This record gives sequence, structure tokens and C-alpha cells, in this order.
Amino acid sequence: MNALSIGVAAALLVVILAAPKFGLLARWKRHRAYRAKSRSEDALKHILAWQHRSKLASLESLAGTMGLRPAAVLRVVAGLQTAGWVESGAGGIALTASGERRALEVVRAHRLWERHLSDDANMPMGKLHPAAERAEHSLSRQQVAELDAHLGHPQHDPHGDPIPRPDGTISALNAVSLNEWPAGRPALIAHLEDEPQAVFRQILLANLRPMQVVRVAESGPNHLAVEIDGRQHRIERSTAANIHVREIRPQDALPTERTRLSDLVQGACGEVAGLSPDCQGLSRRRLLDLGLTPGTRVEVALDNTFGDPRAFRVRGTTVALRRQQAEQVLIRPFPSSDGAETAP
Amino acid sequence: MNTEACDSCPAHVQMAKMGVDIANCDHVVALAGNPNTGKSSVFNALTGLRQHVGNWTGKTVTRAEGAFGYGGKRYKLVDLPGTYSLLSASHDEEISRNFLLFGQPDCTVVVVDATALERNLNLVLQVLEITDRAVVCVNLMDEAKRKGIEVDVRSLSRDLGVPAVSTVARTKEGLSDLVASVAGVACGETKTSPSRVAPPAEVQEAIDGLVPLIQGMAPGLPSARWVALRLLDGDHKVREALLSGELAGLADRQRQAAPLAASRIKAIAGAQ
Amino acid sequence: MTPVSVTPQAVLDRSDELRRGLDGSFRDSMVASLYQRAGELAGRSVREQGAGKWDFDQRIDRILTSRWLGLPVMLLLLGAVFWVTILGANVPSQMLANGFFAVEAAAAGWFESMGAPWWLTGLVWHGIFRGLAWVVSVMLPPMAIFFPVFTILEDLGYLPRVAFNLDWLFRKAGAHGKQALTMAMGFGCNAAGVTSTRIIDSPRERLLAILTNNFVPCNGRFPTLIMLAVIFVAAAVPPAAAAFAAAAAVVAVVLLGVCFTLGVSWALSRSLLSGEASAFTLEMPPYRRPSILRILYTSLIDRTIFVLGRAMLTAAPAGALIWILANVQAGGTTLADRSISLLEPLGTAIGLDGVILLAYVIAIPANEIVVPTMLMCYLGGAMMMDITTYEQIREVLVGQHGWTMLTAVNLMLFSLLHNPCATTILTIWKETRSARWTALGALMPLGLAFLVCLATAQAVRLLPL
Ligand SMILES: Nc1nc2c(ncn2[C@@H]2O[C@H](COP(=O)(O)OP(=O)(O)O)[C@@H](O)[C@H]2O)c(=O)[nH]1
Ligand SMILES: [Mg+2]
Repeated sequence: MNALSIGVAAALLVVILAAPKFGLLARWKRHRAYRAKSRSEDALKHILAWQHRSKLASLESLAGTMGLRPAAVLRVVAGLQTAGWVESGAGGIALTASGERRALEVVRAHRLWERHLSDDANMPMGKLHPAAERAEHSLSRQQVAELDAHLGHPQHDPHGDPIPRPDGTISALNAVSLNEWPAGRPALIAHLEDEPQAVFRQILLANLRPMQVVRVAESGPNHLAVEIDGRQHRIERSTAANIHVREIRPQDALPTERTRLSDLVQGACGEVAGLSPDCQGLSRRRLLDLGLTPGTRVEVALDNTFGDPRAFRVRGTTVALRRQQAEQVLIRPFPSSDGAETAP
Repeated sequence: MNTEACDSCPAHVQMAKMGVDIANCDHVVALAGNPNTGKSSVFNALTGLRQHVGNWTGKTVTRAEGAFGYGGKRYKLVDLPGTYSLLSASHDEEISRNFLLFGQPDCTVVVVDATALERNLNLVLQVLEITDRAVVCVNLMDEAKRKGIEVDVRSLSRDLGVPAVSTVARTKEGLSDLVASVAGVACGETKTSPSRVAPPAEVQEAIDGLVPLIQGMAPGLPSARWVALRLLDGDHKVREALLSGELAGLADRQRQAAPLAASRIKAIAGAQ
Repeated sequence: MTPVSVTPQAVLDRSDELRRGLDGSFRDSMVASLYQRAGELAGRSVREQGAGKWDFDQRIDRILTSRWLGLPVMLLLLGAVFWVTILGANVPSQMLANGFFAVEAAAAGWFESMGAPWWLTGLVWHGIFRGLAWVVSVMLPPMAIFFPVFTILEDLGYLPRVAFNLDWLFRKAGAHGKQALTMAMGFGCNAAGVTSTRIIDSPRERLLAILTNNFVPCNGRFPTLIMLAVIFVAAAVPPAAAAFAAAAAVVAVVLLGVCFTLGVSWALSRSLLSGEASAFTLEMPPYRRPSILRILYTSLIDRTIFVLGRAMLTAAPAGALIWILANVQAGGTTLADRSISLLEPLGTAIGLDGVILLAYVIAIPANEIVVPTMLMCYLGGAMMMDITTYEQIREVLVGQHGWTMLTAVNLMLFSLLHNPCATTILTIWKETRSARWTALGALMPLGLAFLVCLATAQAVRLLPL
């Protein structure tokens, strides 16, 4: 009796420890493997980022960003060297050609995942980066390719960084920091740097989004006053350094005089000027499919108890949209609700 | 009716082999359309079945099948979930689109709401990109009349290049005309020449660059233009279908009425 | 097979290359050109004479969705549906019960006179037949009224307005506004409600809708709620207001269910299913005149008979089982008494009793048979003939079995919250294909039901009321 129960307990213990998939040993091994993989990939990304800034990474810089002890960093770099991904010389650590490919693959997975979270799951901009930091290490090549196809082969991530292509090339970001842009001239936001998080939060608080038109209204020694959608925001110069802008090109086809569908009052109507550029993926398709194409006449039809969602009259049908969606429809309001014609 | 014409339909042979309880049906007819336009009502009126109808978008989330007879032929009718478009990647749109593309019905009835024709025609034009065997059913004519809206189905039919019939599914008004048109299209007696929308010039160029390749790969594919457009758009389902040879299989069937390709069974089974 | 001259990969490569040459906004311009053409075509074939009618539709809509009236009108409509159901179902239920139990008595007597063994008479007539009789008389009248009335609202186009009115609450809970539509389907049958969640695109929000659909009392549970509302709530007010009070009580329970739906969605959105509310677009169809004849036909023949048929399928074996439990003895007591006394402590702790829990265990296959099972257990061998009106049932429950207001309230709560029936659980599995979500969908409501009932029972007992 006693021996039997001891035997059963021992067998159970062995199963719990050594079961091929769910056993503690297997789990621990998987965890170790994942940690090693994510550490070396993070290191590759760091070295790549420094190389893009024409600098060479060092053991110290790696230890700093990755928050690891020097001994651990040494192990990671040694691993990368044996894999033939990095070479360390006098000036620091540099990527080999294959190492750069690998690093770009990780960056590609990261940015596609951000795009996916933003387009498909509507995740707010501020939460994308941490989530993608985790996902980038566990996506297989196959999964990345599928994701890319599913998203319709996007070229930029939600905050404007170019997504590396599968062949390992990446297009350059042709933009300058907002600090260097002349005051008074309108510019298009091309990219918002999402690291460090604290600065990025400041940027988001000021309601800045990629593909928006900004104008520096006033430029002081420590801050800038910028105008977006007719509203002024004050931005520290240190924050502005993380905002990159470029010239507005004719093919950007940005409507000039506009409000948002969410700003129309009950009974008012207007004409769709376009969809906001930060509305991408499935949600953009949805709005287009409902007929919210440029030149379409829309009218506010219904409010409700909570003021959200509201219903709009579009092409002979009534469609309810949440405020978040309505904000993404840019509108040229008609002067009065009657007598206005739809002129495409 | 001219039975010879019907026996020569490539679908005839395949349908018999479908194995999906349609062994004694001659033609497969799909019902597509925006949500809430009366597809299920038309389906019920034609088949005598009682698919649930309701006045809201999304009432039909599963596919229903039924049959009706006309002119000595049996027709399988498939009620698809309503969609606004075939471009998005949402689940129900995929069901409908896959059925139209891979199921290759002998005739697709696009049910449209007469009171919101503009919005509904968007889908009609997209369906006509995939198939040229289509009939437009302008339903809810009584509602339109109530609202003081008149629809000239003859001019619509002329503009679209496929038959258009006005109906009131509730009172079965116009359904016999609808069935006659469906029969004509399904048996190939009615020649259709669907109107295609000219895309923006640069897109047209890209399509022109791709269509010859697609035709080289799958000669005789009826919707090469549409496939080209979807590939340019980065549609992963069409991409997969291309890589797995499903699309080429479709083309083969179209030309020589080959045995039912696996894709067709899959499209039909997957539609539920 | 003709030789393939171009490989699929070559086509793909070429398309990737061409895409890179295209402007990113070409998709927009594709849709725009489709709509432009659609507009041209419609312009050529449509002639409008005055838009007066849509104004009329809109005027109705302005009331039904207005800031102040939208929600009250919604509650009023819901209340009216239940009021009509309760008012109309009362008399037919009693008549059916009277009829059936007269048949039972006569047939049992006839069996005896033919010399059939006692257990055969008991099993067939006091077991199986009695189970069926209870199910039909308790369920048929309310369903035959509720389904058509509800379908009229659906056919009018009112349901999307409900979703529109409530979406804000669902968004705050991290869920999708269309969940309100799936809940409306759940009124009919939770399994149908679970299937209808397919209208929600986002998998996360769809799972929320699936897991919480159970908090809408389905038609199988309405008879329980209605019976309790009539016996305990309506009896406490003057007869003239009885039906109103009962309807109000049922509405209150439904509202509580909505609160639980929102609360549980909120909690899940912040734990197991964390994420943000996704996009919401919903078309508000124009109001259409319902086709009454078709509604009567489909809701009576398809839905009522279907649901009733399913209930009867489970009621017959359940009736037999109860009879066996009540008549087979082991160690001097019947099996029924044994299991009841086993469940009694747990039942008492949550403000119910052993019989009610036993009824719920037996009723796992279909919620519809809870009330019949409970009554059959309580009544034991008594003749049914004497207990057909609600007053008589009240007498049995309160007078003989010590029910209090707490029992009634907790039974309503338990009925609202407890685990979904077997069909619904199976449907959840079919829709999610995941044992984990299915288990959660079954156990989470059960746990919640026990917790809530325990809390109310303890609160009532501790507070000097
Ligand atoms: N007045 C009128 N109502 C119709 C007609 N056809 C359908 N309906 C109603 O329109 C609503 C939607 O119908 P349904 O068949 O479910 O549409 P589906 O979503 O396209 O399948 C239902 O309430 C029908 O009763 C029609 O020709 N006239
Ligand atoms: Mg339908």
C-alpha cells in the first residue's frame, strides 16, 4: 500500500518534470531558448540602430540598453560571433552582411506586428512598441510572410518607420527633424520616434500623428509652438527632435480646408474630403466600402443617449460609426444644411 | 428548353460530382448582395424553405442551400452571407468571395435594394469583375415606391450588360421573371457582356502588365483581370490560391470541364 | 493538362514589383472609381420624387434613439413584450395543465384496471407523461406569445437601434456594439445567440460575446422567471397591477443580466482577453412593415415547435428519472431523498435548497425542464390534479417547503447566471474549437451564480431585515 503510493507519487513527479511538452524541464528549456534568442536579437537590433547613426556599438552601450550585466552581454556577443553575425574590432562591434540581414528580419517582424496591432486590433499608438518587442522574437519567417501579405504589404509602420523588405533592403527615411524645419512653412509628419517611451508619450499627447500637416508657428530657444488641425500645441525642442517631417508633395493629395466627421453637429452635412492617413487596414476598407469616398455627401442623422456612436446618412443609407471612426473621416462642411449640392 | 445547350455547360458534369446533396441538380445558383436586401426572402420564396429573415445586418451568418425546378431543370440555390464589398478581408466577405471564385456558380444573382441603389451597385460591379454569369435582382420595389423612388431596370440592365429584374420578394412579385433570367444565364442562352469599371490609369497599366502572365499561367481563367487586381492589392487568399495551383485548376475546368477540382469542394464546404 | 508556361511564383514576383511602382493610395482610388461608376449608373436609372418618406423614418428614429427617450422607450418596449407574454400565457397554461393532468389520472386508472404492474403505470404516466405535461403547459403558452412579438420588433428593424443605443456601454466594457444583437438572439436561444456572434469580426470581442451570451435568459429560462415573478412579486401587489409588477420584475432580471454581461466583459477585457475595443460600423436599416402572417408562421412552427420539441426530448427521460429516484429505495429512503439531503447544505448556504439544485443537475441537458423537475420533486407522489394554478403552486412552495422571498430572488439570480445548457456548451465548442474557452464559458457562469447567490443569502441573513 505504502510502496504503491510512493511509486505513484514518484511516477507523477517524473511526468510533471519530464513530460515532453508540458513538463517543467521542457518548459524551462523552452524558456531558456527563447531568452537566448530574444537577447541576441535585441543585441543585433541595437547594433543595427547604432550603425544607422554611423556609430559602432560597444559592450557598454549594449549593456546599457539591454539592462544586462557585462558578463551576460559578453556571452550574447560571443554567441553572435560564432554565428557569424558580428565582428568586433577596435572601434566596437559591427554587423556582418548576414548579421545585418538577420537584424533587418527582426526589425521587419517588429514593424509588421505593430502595423497588425494598429490596423487589425485598433491598439493605440502608445502600446504598440512594447507589444511588438515581445512578438518579434517568436514570429517565424513563414508567419512574417503571411502577416505581410495579410496586411497588404505595407511600406511603413504606424509611426512612419519604413518596413524592411523581405530581400533585406530598406528604404531611407527622407525627412528632417522638426527642429530644423523653417517656421511658417507647412510640413508633413513622416515619422515619430517611439523610443524613449516617455518622449513618445509627449508626442502622442500633443495629438501628433504620421501623415498630418504641421506648421511651426513660433520657434523659441527651448520650445516650438506647432499648429495641427487649427490647434496650437507647445512642444519642447528635445521632443521635437524625435519628430521627423518632410515636404508636402502633390501626390499626398491632402485636402486643405477640413474638419472631421465627428465635429459635425446634428443635422449638419458636408462632403468627404478623404480618410485620415492614420486609418489603415481593415478599418479603412470598412469606411471606404460603406461609400465614404472623397466627394460623397454625408449628413448627421442620429445622436443617442451617450452621444457616441452617431449615425450618418451616406449614399441613401444610415450608418452608425463610433466617434473613433468618425474622427478618421475628413470633411468639407457645407455652409448650410439645405440647398447644398454634391459636386465631386 | 434546349437541353443540349445545358448538357454542354461545363458545370453540368461537375455538379453531379459535387457530392454535396445536389446529385440531381443541373445548375448551381448563388445569391449574393449587401446585407438586408432580401436575399433570404428571395431564397425562401424560390425554394419554399424557411430560412430566417430579419431586418438587420448580419441575420444570415451561415450558408443555406435549397433547390427549385424550372423548365425541366433543377437548380441548387445557395444563400450567401451579405457583404458590402468583396475587397476587405473580413470573414463573411471571404466566404462569399471564395464561393463566387472557386465554387463557380452557373449564375450569380445579386440582390440589390432599390431604395439604395448606388451603394448596392458597388457590390454588383465587383461581382461582375469575377463572373460574367450574373443577374441583378432589384428587390424591395414596394419600399422604393413608398419612398417615391423609381428604378428603370431596363436601362440598368443595358448599362450593366447583364439581365436586371425588379422584384418584391415578400409578395413574390417578379420572381418568375427572375427565374427565367437565371435559367437563361445559367444555360448560356443569354449572352452577357458585363460592364467593367476602368480603374485609374496607373493601376490599369499595372493590370495590363500582369494579366498576360496570369493568362500564360492559367489560360482561359475568366477573371484574370480581377485576379491581377487582387494580387496588386496584396490579397493573401488569392496569393495562396495562385501558389497552390487552385487558380490554374479553375482555368482548366473552365476549358475542358475536367473533373471537379478539390478547390471547388473546399470552397463549397468551407462556405459554411 | 496544358504545359504551364509561367510559374505562379513568377506572377507573384511581377505583382510585387508592380505594386511597388504604385502609389500607396491606389486602393482608395479603386474603391472611389467603383463608387463613381455606381453613382453614374444609379443616376441614370433612378428617379426620386421627393424625399418625404425618409424624413418620416428619420422622425421615428429621432425618438427611438433620442438622448432622453431612447433608453426609456427601449425599456418600455421590452416591458411591454413581457407584459403581453405574462398576461396572455397565464390562462392557457392553467388550461393545458388541467387537461393534461385529467388525462394522466384517467390513463393511470385505466392502466391499473387493465392489471398493469404499478411500476409501469408509475413510470409511464407519473414519470414520463407528467414530465412532458409540465414542460408543455409551462413553456408552450409563453413561447407562443413571446416569439412572434419579439420577431415583429426584429422585422420592423428595431434591433439595430438597440445596438446603437447601447454601444457606448459596450465600448466602455471593451466589447463590440453588435454584441447587443447577439444578446437579442440569445433571448430566443443561447445557442443561436452564440452562433450569431459571427457578425463580430474581431476575435477578441467575439469571444467576449460568446462567453457572456449566457447572461441573457433564454426562452427555456423565461418560464422559471415568469413563474417566480407571478408567484412572488405579483402576489405582493393588488391584482390590477399584478401583470405589470411581474413584467417589471422580469425586466429587472433582464437588466441585471445586461449589467452582468457588461461587467464580465469589462473584467475579461482587462484580464484574459485584454485589448482595446475595435472599430464599429453598423447599418441602420430603414423601418419596414413586418409581414405578420409569415412571422406567425415561422415563429410558431419553426421556433416554438422546435424548441418545445427539444424540451420534450429531454423532459421524457428526465420525468422517468425523477420517478425512479422518487420510487426506488435504498436503505429505507428513496434515492431522491438521499440526493436531496446530500445537496441540501450547499443549497441552503446559497439561499436555495436541495431540491432546486437537484432539479438543476437533472436539467443540464435543457434549461426548460427546471421548473417541471422541481415541482415533480416537491410533489412526490401527490396527485397533480390539485395543483395547477399559480396560487396552488405558491401554497406548495411557501406553505409546505418553506420558500421565502430570498428563495425566490436567489432562484431568479441562479436561473439568470448559472451554466448554459448542453446545447449551448456544444455550440460554444463548435464556434471556438477550444476546450479551454468552452470550459470557461460553462464554469465561469456557474461559479458566478454560486458566488452571487451565496453573497445575497449571507447578506440577507446577516442584516436584521
Ligand atoms: N417590403 C418588403 N420587404 C422585404 C422585401 N424583401 C425582403 N424584405 C424584408 O427585408 C428584411 C430583410 O430580409 P432578408 O431576406 O433577411 O435579407 P438578407 O439579409 O439579404 O437575407 C426582412 O425584414 C424582410 O421581411 C420586399 O420585397 N419588400
Ligand atoms: Mg439573409
